Amino acid sequence: MPKILRVNMTTKEVKFEDVPEKYAALGGRGLTSQMVLDDVPPTCEPLGEFNKLVIAPGLLSGTNAPSSGRLSVGGKSPLTGGIKESNAGGISSQKLGSMGIKAIVIEGKPSEKGSYMLKLSEEGAELVAADDLAGKGTYDVTKICRERFNDKVAVITIGPAGEMLMPSAGLTNNDTEGNSSRYAGRGGLGAVMGSKGLKAIVIDCNKTFDAPVQDSDAFKVAAKKFTKILLDHPVCGQGLPAYGTNVLMNIINEAGALPVRNFSKGRFDKANDVGGEKLAEVAKERGGKATHACHPGCVMRCSNVYPMPDGKVCAPIEYETAWCFGPNLEISDLDVVAKLNYICNDVGLDTIEAGCTLGVLAEAGVIAFGDGEAAIKALEEVEKGTPLGRIIGGGSAVAGKAFGITRVPAVKGQGIPAYDPRSCKGNGVTYATTPMGADHTAGYAVTANILKVGGHVDPNKSDGQVELSRNLQVATAAVDATGLCLFVAFAVLDNPEGVPTIVEMINAQYGTELTPDDVIALGQQILKVEREFNAKAGFTKADDRLPEFFTTEVLEPHKTKFDIKDEELDEVFNF
Amino acid sequence: MTVALLRGEYMQVEVRVFSGLEKFLDQKRFGEPFSVEVQDNWDLRSLLDHLSIPKEQVFTKLVNGKHQELDYKLNDGDRVSLFPPVGGG
Repeated sequence: MPKILRVNMTTKEVKFEDVPEKYAALGGRGLTSQMVLDDVPPTCEPLGEFNKLVIAPGLLSGTNAPSSGRLSVGGKSPLTGGIKESNAGGISSQKLGSMGIKAIVIEGKPSEKGSYMLKLSEEGAELVAADDLAGKGTYDVTKICRERFNDKVAVITIGPAGEMLMPSAGLTNNDTEGNSSRYAGRGGLGAVMGSKGLKAIVIDCNKTFDAPVQDSDAFKVAAKKFTKILLDHPVCGQGLPAYGTNVLMNIINEAGALPVRNFSKGRFDKANDVGGEKLAEVAKERGGKATHACHPGCVMRCSNVYPMPDGKVCAPIEYETAWCFGPNLEISDLDVVAKLNYICNDVGLDTIEAGCTLGVLAEAGVIAFGDGEAAIKALEEVEKGTPLGRIIGGGSAVAGKAFGITRVPAVKGQGIPAYDPRSCKGNGVTYATTPMGADHTAGYAVTANILKVGGHVDPNKSDGQVELSRNLQVATAAVDATGLCLFVAFAVLDNPEGVPTIVEMINAQYGTELTPDDVIALGQQILKVEREFNAKAGFTKADDRLPEFFTTEVLEPHKTKFDIKDEELDEVFNF
Repeated sequence: MTVALLRGEYMQVEVRVFSGLEKFLDQKRFGEPFSVEVQDNWDLRSLLDHLSIPKEQVFTKLVNGKHQELDYKLNDGDRVSLFPPVGGG
């Protein structure tokens, strides 16, 4: 029987509970968001005793469904003040799924100082003192735990940024090789974990594909079919394995939608120097890898292993990270990008937020655009907890206020990622309206806007963007509940067999009789739950807007402004 | 003078290929811009034939940052960017 593991940090009580009927059919984001709405007072202090951190594997995690090892982490965000689901790869989700753990709920808050570790195995769970890990970077913590227990453990941990309660601190877990770089980065959930005195969760279980499946024959057939659907699609089967997500750098640049110099221009003449092709070339030259799976059983393998000049490896460098530390700062040196990425991984910061924040600091003249050394030096302040370090850890909106900058690319306090909303307007609708704060993954309209996957909607025009974003936000919420990587959407959007095959897998696993229509209903339900939480937390329509400068400043080369009307934005959730 | 006039009869476009398409060209790196002289009735199909890049390998054809089809008629100074299927996020 599946269980919920409840950890009370006030009383240090750890207990396994039966899963209430209400949660039986939920997983991943579907479960974290529902539990947060049910159990977290929307007006609570995000870093206080009433917030909860909910960690849940997806419905299919721990099965041999391809690319199904994504982990959802939920809570009230200290960055946005709203609900948050942050999604990560790594090896934790499949272990939790295989152990029959539906969710880990971290609640309460210790009255005394101290760091704790939650140790979880098939024998049970215990909370142990971990003061020896306090203040350490995530790479060290993961290394120490792998040495102390064994090299198969999954380590979910935070860095000093989370311990210092910085609003853009993430929490990470490791890949098979022990790199602590698979982040639930966005929205400051690392600070929520830090506020509870929890430094690490060690999952000591050697199982990966052992989640219970009711009809294993039917499951096998459906999983095989789904693997073929992924491998047959040119993006999932060829594009992603060859160059990883950073293959986007050049196409977004050529399309004129690459945010450059803190969202001042749409093209960067040195984008190619930090793109996926160059990354693959350098990685291979140095003995790294241009393709790598973030969790066992992923067939898209979009990750990479980038050896740095100092002998360490950054694995992976994702597109959004290469963008925020590259073109966004007018930096064209991949080694600088890798170093900034590594610092974030180690200190425990969301890379996108850190890059947006450095962009704001450059706008303020605190560092210079194009000065890689200055960016590295600034980011190193975070670990020291200096005033500048704390401003950086506070995120882009905090940095804007601190330095009097109004050109701050953020919605609901969360930094806008790697696609300018003026020349990728579908993503602009998503940034403005998703309950998560600016988030490209929440409704990735780059598909139809620029990649011509799932149809084509002109990225520079306003027509069709609201509908596109709506449909994608619904589909994404459902995918995030399954534990499947969102990138399956490339294939699923183009192949009518995609959604029915996902449903076949879920039905075979749980003995349910869901239909593809139920998937849409699930996605809509998740969004309604999240918007209900945000409304109760005080969010209104006024929060579903882009920063003003996107509507007044013209973006080159297409001479575009964000011109989708407020009333149209308010129609996104018309279901 | 004559040479200059003759040159004037041709248009030039600036081409970039990415993400593996460079393997069809001699000594060109991904993203490296190069000029191609094109005749005034050429479309993207003619350009791909001229460069010996198999059409089925080219999924995205951006001209001046906008998606175009194979029958797009080239103009002098066009920036042409060619990609196989790519995606990420």
